Amino acid sequence: MALKNLRGRVAFIFEEIDFDVDQIVGVKNIKIQDVAELAKVAMQAYDPDFAKVVQPGDLLVGNHNFGYGHPHYPPMRAMRHLGITGVVAESFSPGYWRGEISMGFPQVSCPGILGLVERWDEIEVDWAAGVVRNLTRGREIAFEPLARADYEMLDAGGLLQYLKAGTAA
Amino acid sequence: MGYTITEKILARAAGLPAVRAGDEVMAKPDFVIAYDFPGYTDVYFKQMKEDFGIDKVAEPDRFAIFIDHMVPTATPAEEELHIITRKWCAEQGVPLFERKGIGHQVASEVGYAVPGAFVVHFDGHISQLGTFGTLAMGIRRNLLEAFVRDHVSLRVPQTTRVNLTGTLKKGVMARDVFHHIVRVLGPASCRFQVLEVGGPALDEISTEGLQTITGLAMFTGAVTAIVNPSKKRLDYALPRARKQIEPVYSDDDAEFAAVHEIDLCNLDPIVVIPPSPANTRDLADYLGIEVQAGYLGSCASGRLEDLRAAVQVLKGRKVAPGFALHIVPTSQQIMADAAREGLIAELVEAGAFVSSPSCDYCFGRIATMTAGQKAVSTGTLNVRGRMGSPDSEIYLVNAAAVAASAIEGRIADPRNYL
Repeated sequence: MALKNLRGRVAFIFEEIDFDVDQIVGVKNIKIQDVAELAKVAMQAYDPDFAKVVQPGDLLVGNHNFGYGHPHYPPMRAMRHLGITGVVAESFSPGYWRGEISMGFPQVSCPGILGLVERWDEIEVDWAAGVVRNLTRGREIAFEPLARADYEMLDAGGLLQYLKAGTAA
Repeated sequence: MGYTITEKILARAAGLPAVRAGDEVMAKPDFVIAYDFPGYTDVYFKQMKEDFGIDKVAEPDRFAIFIDHMVPTATPAEEELHIITRKWCAEQGVPLFERKGIGHQVASEVGYAVPGAFVVHFDGHISQLGTFGTLAMGIRRNLLEAFVRDHVSLRVPQTTRVNLTGTLKKGVMARDVFHHIVRVLGPASCRFQVLEVGGPALDEISTEGLQTITGLAMFTGAVTAIVNPSKKRLDYALPRARKQIEPVYSDDDAEFAAVHEIDLCNLDPIVVIPPSPANTRDLADYLGIEVQAGYLGSCASGRLEDLRAAVQVLKGRKVAPGFALHIVPTSQQIMADAAREGLIAELVEAGAFVSSPSCDYCFGRIATMTAGQKAVSTGTLNVRGRMGSPDSEIYLVNAAAVAASAIEGRIADPRNYL
């Protein structure tokens, strides 16, 4: 078992420290269940054309303490629906981190990422080498290794699959 | 090198002689606690059976379920959720606490805050059991792991220690102490760590106040908070403890990621301005902002000391005309004690709307605000939409400041009324 490297463009950089991810869909839309509806309202406050320009495989980049506040699941459900495959941030808030890892959604804690990339750069998260690589600019920096359980949860595709695999073993 | 209280608790829970911060362990929670909430408990009950083929939990007394949200129910769907919960608990023999109050508080009252115990919940405010030397963590949806396995996977957290010195000035409460910690240390200061509160002035803080401080730990980035329990906390916790566990304490030479000192003498009442719990400011700089509602309650307030502070301010005075002051004692026990003490009568006569315990005021399910309205609140959180419209605003203050603001209809300084 090995996680597949993430490779895609930096679709957006959230520069705000302590970023509250609920802002991605807007609090007034947080109760929408339908993921296509959520995807339609996502990023309206940041880039109204986001849904049009994002491509499958793209990644998001964040600043320190990404996910602070009272994070809900719909914003990142919307992002995954739009093709986003992971978030690379300077650091994460633990509640958000745990929630998204349990959804099987890769989160990469990478101090220095904001200095490494610009929007639309092509990047790669190389799990085995432990680095985030900027393919556009030919530079790379190390990310913080995942806890074993977090790695296995991502590898399994989320909490439920992880627990099922463990129970069967 | 010695060990922190957290390392000692997790070593016992993991069945190991010792663990160190950074170790990855499988730890067996002494208690698994949850309140019924759509997408959480109903899903766990279903997944246990359908995905894992577990018909019965092995040790039902390790589990505790609370019905404290959607109390009282307002829709048939809410009542149906409660019915699922009641049925599951009855079938499983799992203790159910319904309408007894906000679970994080009731858990302490009924003996789950066992000094030295390891407890998990999906909701992070369970950290307030740390008041009694219990290591209680909110692990969000990963709580499923505790429903289908004996152990949960965990990286032993580092600890940031905050030592309190000095004494609190008049009008300054534990609520102010917590937000001062966020202000001084920063909202990411304890990320993935345990916030350990200690120091010579720890016993200056009441047990109720400490429940407030430890219960809000997540806003420093901490995964929980804990104290080394003094005799005062043990005298409360041990007689009602549901499990015999030897209390443990951090060693003098334990290794901390950081140590900070907070002098309580320097603190003044604070306000946390919308829309983030990171926004600690001096209350004095925000006096006069017109507010239409006030909420005194939640798992982070609503205890006797908060109710007494409100009475002290409101006694012989009246809530401003048109101002909606909601006061919600945190548990039935607290409400009964407050009634016996005469506090409820004082609050009602001053014009407060006093309700039985419920979590529902804290997240806008009831007493909902509309666009443009503002509230002062002792609730847990001030993010957009927390108490209704995303275009309403919440200013977090201490209980006395909620009461003072209710009199003036504007954000007010409680010290003018004490």
